[in-house]
Amino acid sequence: MTRLFAVIERDLKKFKRNPVVLAMSILMPIIYLVILGNSFQGKLQALPVVFVDQDAGPSAKRFMENLRAVEAGPKTFSLLGSKDPKEAVEGVKKGIYKAAIIIPSDFSKRTFAKGRPEIGLFLDNTDGISSENIRNIVKSAVKATNTEYVAIRENPGEAIIRDIDLYSKVDYYQSLVPGVVIMAIFLGTLTTGAFNLVMDRFLGMDESYLLTPLSKSHIVGGLIISGLSITTLIAVFIFTVSMLITGIPLSRGLHQCASIFIIITLTTLCLLSLMFVILGRVGHPRIVGVLSGFLNVILFFPSGAVYPIASFPGWLKAFAKVNPEAYAVDALKAVLFKNAGLSVIAGDILFLFCFTALMMTLSILTFKRTL
Amino acid sequence: MQEKKAITVSEITKKFGTITAVDNVSFEVAEGEFFGFLGPNGAGKTTLIRMLTTLLKPTSGKAVVSCCDVAREPAAVRRAIGVVPQAMTSDLDLTGYENMDIYGRFYGIRSKERKERMRYLLDMVGLTARANDLVATYSGGMRRRLEIARVLVHKPKILFLDEPTIGLDPQSRRVVWGLLEKLMEDDSLTIFLTTHYMEEAEALCKRVAIIDAGKIIAIGSPDELKSQIPGNDIVSLSLAGFTESIVEKAESLPFVHRIVVEDDYIRAYVDSGAKNLPMLIDEVRSSGGTVLSATVHEQSLEDVFIHYTGKTIREEEAKKVSFLVGPGIPQKLGR
Repeated sequence: MTRLFAVIERDLKKFKRNPVVLAMSILMPIIYLVILGNSFQGKLQALPVVFVDQDAGPSAKRFMENLRAVEAGPKTFSLLGSKDPKEAVEGVKKGIYKAAIIIPSDFSKRTFAKGRPEIGLFLDNTDGISSENIRNIVKSAVKATNTEYVAIRENPGEAIIRDIDLYSKVDYYQSLVPGVVIMAIFLGTLTTGAFNLVMDRFLGMDESYLLTPLSKSHIVGGLIISGLSITTLIAVFIFTVSMLITGIPLSRGLHQCASIFIIITLTTLCLLSLMFVILGRVGHPRIVGVLSGFLNVILFFPSGAVYPIASFPGWLKAFAKVNPEAYAVDALKAVLFKNAGLSVIAGDILFLFCFTALMMTLSILTFKRTL
Repeated sequence: MQEKKAITVSEITKKFGTITAVDNVSFEVAEGEFFGFLGPNGAGKTTLIRMLTTLLKPTSGKAVVSCCDVAREPAAVRRAIGVVPQAMTSDLDLTGYENMDIYGRFYGIRSKERKERMRYLLDMVGLTARANDLVATYSGGMRRRLEIARVLVHKPKILFLDEPTIGLDPQSRRVVWGLLEKLMEDDSLTIFLTTHYMEEAEALCKRVAIIDAGKIIAIGSPDELKSQIPGNDIVSLSLAGFTESIVEKAESLPFVHRIVVEDDYIRAYVDSGAKNLPMLIDEVRSSGGTVLSATVHEQSLEDVFIHYTGKTIREEEAKKVSFLVGPGIPQKLGR
């Protein structure tokens, strides 16, 4: 044990004396939470939309009133008038406007005559999200114009959906917290454990301990344990900060905290062992740099942290089945948002445990005790 | 009584792909001996030391270090040896004391014994006052001294040093030499050193093996090796108007044993060089040559190297370093 503790202490002391690495490991996931949280959930506002009213009749006016209501209320777009339909469409093509609405001169006449009135909508569909929003608003405005004079009558035979939320509402910002914690663990495991071995190898310092009686288990185990201590602390800190920022309550108190701690610790151990298998023989930190981006993409995005796994194509779903981060995210979501106990997440925990045991064994077996 | 052997190497070879870094090398080192391996960079010294210290597996052959086969009992070998690799391996982010303490714990040495030993060794290498400073603040020489002290914490039977003074300034080199001389006083410690500095091998080693292109070309004490060269001094003459008859006439002089012609000078292996130099110069002049400059020096291990290979260590070094990644064997292959 003296030898194992010596390996751990060496690693921890070196980490402690490099505060920049520590600061980056903490800051990155928090910045990620703030940036990702704000870049996906924001509402579209003031999209420039040009309209050409060639009709100016009563139906056209009603349609425009409906659009003006959206402009004044949710402020999704700001309307700009034009007289030349060609100029309006050109404006969309040039990127001045997101859409052009053309009301033809016979719109009101056809409306009253029930002669299939039409409105032209020219969209810049290269911006999918904005164009879909405008399309839906314009459709609603047209529908409202058409149904304005239809009497609203109760229909007792129509089925009504009574939707009941089983759990407290989870907003987008809050839903990112499990992913942010997993991201913190990923970054922590990438900059500790096997990475320190790569750096020692790169600087030629590995010779100093390869020449001692330390066994493979001492070296691999020691580096994994020191990485576990550092990364767990960072992840717990990130988790606490994320909870404070997003306001998720821990209603089940200590029991819930213990479950979260178990998930964090096991996930950390799992990723540290995985990194050892992948980076165990790497001799240059540049390779770690290249691999880090790749590993983050293949582990994080198919984990369900950002988008539900149910939406993935078959092959990606199959990959998610062996992705430890997917199990970690699932377990964290269950404990955080459903107040689930350990029995509910037993499957996730069992997978993480087995994966860790397999990777740990592989990392010791594949570790090369010679140069 | 037969001398006990600390190291026995039998026909050891190491190949990296098509490159043979160490080629069928055999030698023995007695217990308590200070043994040196002298050769240019890329000669195979580091590969050899790495095989003897369990870091590389030999392609063929056998090496027994402290009665243990390096291939079969690597753990036992590691317990018996202390190694100072060529690269500085002390942790910059730790203090000198922490470096030694952690290293001692790698060997499982108990706290009390470890502390006593560390105190003694830090004092021996003159680093007691700086023990609690980060190694990042040490000079190259201090760092090397710390690394020598560090590998002695567990009282090894054999100390391996791979180019211990490479990259050090002359003053630091002398301090390390002084330290190694002090270690030589301990008869139970066997020291195996590799170097490409001939004066280092000459000053420290009781026996030296000269290695070139992976092969041992000569082995013996520095005096024995030098005695294999004819004469006791070398006279180098830079000439103008060189002709074959100059060499023939000079070689006919009784005190001249051999003449080697280089690009623009001749190297004469002579007896009593300083005394006989005027006669040699006269002979060259009488043969129609002009002596531009002359130097006389005592034979050194460098001359032994030249005698056997026909080139200087520096020439060989420059040639090898030009196509190698770094000192020693090609880095990629070596690891």
